[in-house]
Amino acid sequence: MVSAKDLLYLTAHPRQLRSIIQWKVWHNPVHERDESKECESLKRCFHFLTLTSRSFSAVILELHPELLVPVALFYLILRGLDTVEDDMTIPLEKKEPILRSFDDIMDKDGWTFTENGPNEKDRQLLVEFNVVIEEFKKIKPAYQVIIKDITKKMGNGMADYANNAEHNKNGVNSVEDYELYCHYVAGLVGEGLTRLFVEGGLANAALLKRPELMESMGQFLQHVNIIRDIKEDFVDKRRFYPKEVWSKYVTNFEDLFKPENKELALNVSSEMILIALTRADDCLYYLAGLKEQSVFNFCAIPQSMAIATLERCFQNYDIFQKNVKITKGEACELMIQSSQNLRLVCDVFRKYLRKIHQRNNPHDPNFLKISMQCGKVEQFIESIFPSQKPPIDAAKSPVSAEQAAKEAAAAHEARWDTYYMILAVVLTITIITGSMLFIAWLAGARFDIAFSEFKQQFGELLGSSNASGAPVSSLVEDAPGHVEL
Amino acid sequence: MAPTRILVTGGCGFLGSEIVRSLISTNDYDITAVDINPPSLGTSSFAQVRYVRANVLDPEELQKVFNQAKPVVVVHTVGVYHVGAARYGEKGQETVFEINVTGTRNVIEAATSCEAKALVFTSSVTVLLDQMWEDFLNADETWPTGRATTAYGQSKTAAEDLVLAANKTDFATCSLRSAPIFGPNDPACMSIFHRCIERGETPFIIGSGTNLCDFVYVSNVADAHVLAVRNLLKSGTAAGEAFFITNGEPITARDFCIAIWKEFGHVPSFQVRIPKALAWWLGLGAEWASWATGTQGSLSRGVVWDATATRYVSIAKARRVLGYDPRVSLPEALKISCKHFQRQLDGRSKS
Repeated sequence: MVSAKDLLYLTAHPRQLRSIIQWKVWHNPVHERDESKECESLKRCFHFLTLTSRSFSAVILELHPELLVPVALFYLILRGLDTVEDDMTIPLEKKEPILRSFDDIMDKDGWTFTENGPNEKDRQLLVEFNVVIEEFKKIKPAYQVIIKDITKKMGNGMADYANNAEHNKNGVNSVEDYELYCHYVAGLVGEGLTRLFVEGGLANAALLKRPELMESMGQFLQHVNIIRDIKEDFVDKRRFYPKEVWSKYVTNFEDLFKPENKELALNVSSEMILIALTRADDCLYYLAGLKEQSVFNFCAIPQSMAIATLERCFQNYDIFQKNVKITKGEACELMIQSSQNLRLVCDVFRKYLRKIHQRNNPHDPNFLKISMQCGKVEQFIESIFPSQKPPIDAAKSPVSAEQAAKEAAAAHEARWDTYYMILAVVLTITIITGSMLFIAWLAGARFDIAFSEFKQQFGELLGSSNASGAPVSSLVEDAPGHVEL
Repeated sequence: MAPTRILVTGGCGFLGSEIVRSLISTNDYDITAVDINPPSLGTSSFAQVRYVRANVLDPEELQKVFNQAKPVVVVHTVGVYHVGAARYGEKGQETVFEINVTGTRNVIEAATSCEAKALVFTSSVTVLLDQMWEDFLNADETWPTGRATTAYGQSKTAAEDLVLAANKTDFATCSLRSAPIFGPNDPACMSIFHRCIERGETPFIIGSGTNLCDFVYVSNVADAHVLAVRNLLKSGTAAGEAFFITNGEPITARDFCIAIWKEFGHVPSFQVRIPKALAWWLGLGAEWASWATGTQGSLSRGVVWDATATRYVSIAKARRVLGYDPRVSLPEALKISCKHFQRQLDGRSKS
């Protein structure tokens, strides 16, 4: 399972090895799925969940029991939708009505779809989609309404894009288009999940009043994926980097991958990273609104992974050549730190932002803006977790004379308390020592000998042994019983 | 509605003239600009503004000007500071106190005796931040002042205390603690940073280079003054209060410098990091050297402190109470300022 190369890497990075071991050995899920109570169709759903999602299944499976099934089904439904949209072997006139009516499909018992191309990796999910529909009917109606609403919005958004010939040929045009695209595929997921959390009572309802926060949660993850996958998408003939950004630096999208344009390609990637970074403070703000630990972990872990991935991609030409990933050890470390509290997640963000800031290239046209954005997030973190407190000003406090008197009395009392405490300790020690000496004396201890011996030794130490030496030695000779003791 | 009579001290200065410009654009004010050096004929000035010469250190002259102008609101921007080694030293600090503190006292007296309703005072973030070797992260106005270690910070604190203590129901005052201001015609910032290029000092990074600092563009500070004037005349929620005014965009000192140098077409070709502790000793050595030779070098312990300190504040209170929002963001502000400075340089080299 572990290759020799991995082993070598981990030997050189013991910290990461430690994180892997720690995560495997010590991580206890907040909630564990109880498989024994599940029916066959639900088991099948979870089977698909682990099969289709690489990164999300682990966090979904640890969710609070109230939301475990709804969120898992939500994921599978969107995955099903995505599988229809992604498949270029399905003709548009067939694809569009399915996308637009996917929410109605959730009401059709036994609906399955077998027309995916043989290479579509999640095609089996749609072949057995009836199990998802069966389970969907069992969840609370309130959850059903939310999931259907988001499915409808997303399906329509995807259908619009599928219909848009310009988009299919040239990819995304403006930054606005780019964010709209990300809204359909990710921002809506953020909205749906937030509504589920609030409905389940596991998140602060105020989150719904700040829709830009949940939008940013999805946008940030999607931006990072798009930035990281540029090469992979290019090979698959898809372009998500908006033309508005790359056309500032190169005339044709393909030019980004030419070695002579390395510098320009890096400029494009750092502008994309800057756009993503503007969402970072919103994400931290959002996390502050989550009440339940498993929901927090569910949201925080992907965000931490995203900021780490972004750091890995920053000023890294590799993204134009191959797939860039964070290491397994780093991922484990991030999971440990992101499954505790917001402060640690903020620390993670600050750590990676500082790394980004450190590598910020003065020649980059976006140098100043990237630096400002790092500063902005750092200030935001400082505002929710201040590292300093205003000093108490001696001249200006205490506030009133009355309070001053009270404080003086308290200080006086505290001082006497200390005295009593010392007295009690001394008394206790005296009594214990005294009784020990008394018992020793009862048992026949010769303190007189011990005392003169001590005097002699002490005298020798001070260099005046002769004067006091004689009488002591005679005393010792006088007391043969001492040897026996 | 008849325009409100307003008097701006230091109205021909770097900040004062920008405040005058902002006040004009509102069309709400009848403006008198008082300055020790009123603009001579033909230099840039505004036709609709009355320019009067007066020295804030001459109470009688000042009173006469105030009595004539009968301002309803006074904006007091006059202040002096030292740059370079003098910023940290003791020498010549009497003038700083004289103008910043006594001048302010005179202005308050003149304003109250001519029955002005409000006074807005230009203070400085240094009242809090000029505490040597201390860091301030996102500090707000609840932090106590009075611990500044530079003469400028101390003088501004004393003046601000005078202004805020003068706040009464019929005379509303507030204090705007501005971050270091830059902009076209700015007398300090641009030339200091530009000089580093000529001296070949740009590759050296003192300390970690991660310390965040605040700056503010001149028109943003001017906006804050106009907002404060409006607040004191209307709701009065700012009366007796101090506000931090910055661009709200903390940035590392190093990156701010690089951004300026880039505007002048210079990017350091290599970078050398000097640890803070080493820089401190170098600073001490440089101070001795300049004392021995009687010349002024660019390094001193004070400079090391200024370069390595983390000092940024929160402008949440100004946003909330004054409705302040920095309109000109750093990238645009730097572009304008550096272009202007470059034009001045070109003009100088031609003549």
